[in-house]
Amino acid sequence: MSLHRADPLDHPDVRNASGIAFVAGYAASVGLMAIALMVTLRHEMSYVRFVIAVAILGGLALLAQAVLMFRLDLSGGQRWKTISLLLVVPLFVLSIGLTGWMFHTLYPRTMLDFMQVQGSGM
Amino acid sequence: MLVHLQGAWNPWLGRLTLSQIPYHSPIVLGAFAFALLAAAPIVGLMTYYQKWGYLIREWITTLDHKKIGVMYIIIGLVMLLRGFIDGIMIRTQQLLADGPRSAAHLQAVHGYLPPFHFDQIYSSHGTIMIIFAVTVVLTGFQNIIVPLQIGARDMAFPYLNAVSLWLTAAGAALVMISLFIGDFSHAGWVGIVPLTELPYSPGVGVDYWDWALQLSSLGTTLGALNLITTIIMMRAPGMRWFRMPFFTWATLSTQTIGLTAFPVLGVALALLSCDRYLGTHFYTAGLGGNLMLYTDLFWIWGHPEVYFIILPAWGIMSEVIPTFSEKALFGYTVMVAATLSIAGLSWAVWLHHFFTMGAGPGVNLVFSVSTMLVGIPTGVKVFNWSLTLYRGRLRFETPMLWAIGALFLLLVGGLTGMMLAIPAINYTVHNSVFVVAHFHTMFLVSVFGIFAGLMYWFPKVFGFRLDERSGRRFFTFFSLGTVFVFAAMYTLGLMGMTRRLDYLYNPHWQALLIIQEFGIFLYCVSVFYFCKMIYVSIRDRAKEAHGQDVWRTSRTLEWMTLTPVPFYNFAVIPVVHGRDAWAMRRDSGLTATSPGDYEDINLPNNTIVPAMLGALAFGFGFGMVWRIWWLAGLSLLGIIGLVILRSFADDRGFTLTAATVRRMERNHEDTGIVTDHISPPVAELALFQ
Repeated sequence: MSLHRADPLDHPDVRNASGIAFVAGYAASVGLMAIALMVTLRHEMSYVRFVIAVAILGGLALLAQAVLMFRLDLSGGQRWKTISLLLVVPLFVLSIGLTGWMFHTLYPRTMLDFMQVQGSGM
Repeated sequence: MLVHLQGAWNPWLGRLTLSQIPYHSPIVLGAFAFALLAAAPIVGLMTYYQKWGYLIREWITTLDHKKIGVMYIIIGLVMLLRGFIDGIMIRTQQLLADGPRSAAHLQAVHGYLPPFHFDQIYSSHGTIMIIFAVTVVLTGFQNIIVPLQIGARDMAFPYLNAVSLWLTAAGAALVMISLFIGDFSHAGWVGIVPLTELPYSPGVGVDYWDWALQLSSLGTTLGALNLITTIIMMRAPGMRWFRMPFFTWATLSTQTIGLTAFPVLGVALALLSCDRYLGTHFYTAGLGGNLMLYTDLFWIWGHPEVYFIILPAWGIMSEVIPTFSEKALFGYTVMVAATLSIAGLSWAVWLHHFFTMGAGPGVNLVFSVSTMLVGIPTGVKVFNWSLTLYRGRLRFETPMLWAIGALFLLLVGGLTGMMLAIPAINYTVHNSVFVVAHFHTMFLVSVFGIFAGLMYWFPKVFGFRLDERSGRRFFTFFSLGTVFVFAAMYTLGLMGMTRRLDYLYNPHWQALLIIQEFGIFLYCVSVFYFCKMIYVSIRDRAKEAHGQDVWRTSRTLEWMTLTPVPFYNFAVIPVVHGRDAWAMRRDSGLTATSPGDYEDINLPNNTIVPAMLGALAFGFGFGMVWRIWWLAGLSLLGIIGLVILRSFADDRGFTLTAATVRRMERNHEDTGIVTDHISPPVAELALFQ
């Protein structure tokens, strides 16, 4: 409930922080996202490989941020952050899932050759 | 890597040339003159009374949540006025450009606005009203009231709070400057794809819209993080979850939506920026792009944003109605459950914004049902407010009038929303002004809630009440304006008038268009009474000064502290023993008690860094819009450098001793936010001493 501390540097979040881990997390996430951008710009992969590559890079960037930058775990200071991230998962599933279903029904109705769009390069 | 654009570009000014300043347009010149006339007296008075130092020391550098909230509200009201003027221009153009024989003025073939200019005006109207007016004002209320309602001295992250404000201000400034340098997007507030793609919008208008939204959405996301943390971590001892005031619950639900939904907008816009700047094809028709993906992503954010705007207004209504009914909110626990379920459902209804795109009937059915489900908790709320009114000792002072008005509008907006949730009806009225009238009704619920909150909490923050007489006239003319504009608009929608038309082909709509314009005139009269209300209230502030419980029947903790609220909020953090903590104390005769022992209070120092970050963010946005790469790059480096530099500052705030607090409380010294009786130190001043 109430949490009043005079010195912000005594806060568990601050005590838990590590400069090296923060820089490493920042560098890793920026690097991974830059690679994803380059992959997108080059148009060299097939559609399916491209989607898989970008998803893996995105997942790694998320992991780098969660582990290195935010140091998420179930300790008292970090519990709420970890739960916040977990609470986003249902929204993630909901939005991606319903979007996927919507496009699955949309393409046959609006695309001349929807299989080519969905499966190009397979 | 960067997309090569046709036209002039030079390394120093990018795409910016003298011809981009629309001094040849009489309307823009008029707007410029109006802005000068409005700003001149303010600047003159500030200079005459030598208040620039006060402005910087007490406001620009402040980390006080109340002052930040007030600045949010001022920005929001200024943008509300700008959006309202856009609304007048839209309605007037449609009235004048009705039928082939309609007259032509200025540079238009029909009416007085050329189509490209008209398109910019409806785009800026929507963007401003939703993102920079209603959202911003409501964020201001949440900033001011939530820490007071939970018995905290400030937000969890006061510095981050100021950063959020200045990022929002940077976004608003980008929208405003687009009026005088370049032009604004013509692709609607939703950014219709592929119209926002470079081949169809090669100018800077879409970029202004894009970066303004990016900056403000970043500010809103950080603000959401701050408010959620504040509510979870900063509650006073004894304030359990189900003892929290209802407005705080509404804020928690709202900001959870904000924290989860705004990043989606950020992603949607970032991908659009990649298309426009780097030549990717996320939303193009070819090379693997999918222009329908933008619509999907935009509304994944867009519909939760609707509840982001509505829920705080319902929170305000839930504070105002019990106060002026002189009884507790009916069904508190059910109201909390209803609010949380609306927040959850807000994530599962977005596709009803594009039923007509062509998805299968199963998909439309699911989203139709989920949209209708929202009606259940909303209906619960309406019944609970009604049952709070039932057998209450009702007092129709101005906050209550606005709250009742909002309740009525919610019925109209909610029922038309249920109609639109049915795909068959949606197909019939899609893109008609019936839809426009529906969502304006819902946004007006928020606006009515905002004015209820303004009248209700203004005396708590500033120490004096707003003038009741002109306040009632403001309410009357605003409500009448709403009836005339939107009753006519619903009818026009059912008659087949589509939205965003700069020229109307059907002369038979003329009578209803005149009724709409008359409603706009009534709105203008209401603006006059709003200004009069502010003027009279400031003039008579000594007469209207009040004690801590201005309305005498308030129920929540913010009414416990002094009026105006001291900069430290509470001399001693209160201990809460039940729901409606202030009403409990009043009923037990404990309102006049003062603490036996005072304690030292630690507060943050003021700092100029957040305002500098806002200025640099504006520089970055402006540089990106005009492709002035050195400006954008230097601004970005400046932001990163300042953030790193600030992280090394060993700033532990300042301490107000118990003896000082005791003296101020017992002598009733004015420690409200408009006095500089005791100023928090500015951290950076130490560097120059």
